[in-house]
Amino acid sequence: MNIERIIFLVAFGLTAIWFGWRVFMTKSMIRSALSLLASMAAIGLLFLVMQAEFLGVLQLMMMATEMTIMAIFMMMFMMDPGGMGNMDMSHQKKASFLFALLTGLCFALVAVLHPWRLSMEIVPSPARQNHDLGIELMQRSMMIFETAGTSILVAMIAAVATALTFKSIKNQ
Amino acid sequence: MTELIIVLVIAAVLFGLGVYGALNQTNLVMIMMGIELMLGAAMLNLVAFWFYLHPNTFSIQMFVLVVMTVMALEATVGFAIATQRFRTKGSVEVEEAAELKE
Repeated sequence: MNIERIIFLVAFGLTAIWFGWRVFMTKSMIRSALSLLASMAAIGLLFLVMQAEFLGVLQLMMMATEMTIMAIFMMMFMMDPGGMGNMDMSHQKKASFLFALLTGLCFALVAVLHPWRLSMEIVPSPARQNHDLGIELMQRSMMIFETAGTSILVAMIAAVATALTFKSIKNQ
Repeated sequence: MTELIIVLVIAAVLFGLGVYGALNQTNLVMIMMGIELMLGAAMLNLVAFWFYLHPNTFSIQMFVLVVMTVMALEATVGFAIATQRFRTKGSVEVEEAAELKE
């Protein structure tokens, strides 16, 4: 057991949970987006604590841009982005709280009760990890990786087609 | 084993928070935030499984990359739907989108 690692795991984990909670508890939409950014950054730091350096850095970079874009969209679409009007934008509070509690509890119980068999293998160095991940992506999992690329293309086309206003539809 | 359980419990709590947000919020962008939180928890689980159970199996890291892609795609398509909805109805509140089920 590595005490230092446990301390960092708990610290970053609690940070992620706290900011994840703040996302839905604040009235200001910009604070929500920035809280989600902080939560995702804490998850990225957890990746770094678990020595997945490439994934950790990738998570930090991707979430920084994604949440900034999300904040901009929030400003565009919300009636009250600053939360000054104190509008209530929630529904079915009790049911969603109960369902979320049940889901989280089930997963936590599985995590605690399952007899995990830890690996005795040594975790490869970051350079070795990058090399091996590259080999994995270009050999055995190439089709899956390419499918992800194609999905991005399809999503881009679908997003543009959905967001456009077509004249023929407008005239009807 | 304690470390793995700590990470998995953190991920379970984050997933629960995501479920709460997705069910509780009425705004489309806020619902997407809940889904992002759930996917973040899934990625945390995957990295924990890689680190503690199979450190030499890189298909798990590849799967994290796929989940990250799904996160970006969900945001892309979600924002496109939000943009269209805002253009036609002037609001992205899901409470006002009941006619979609008709």
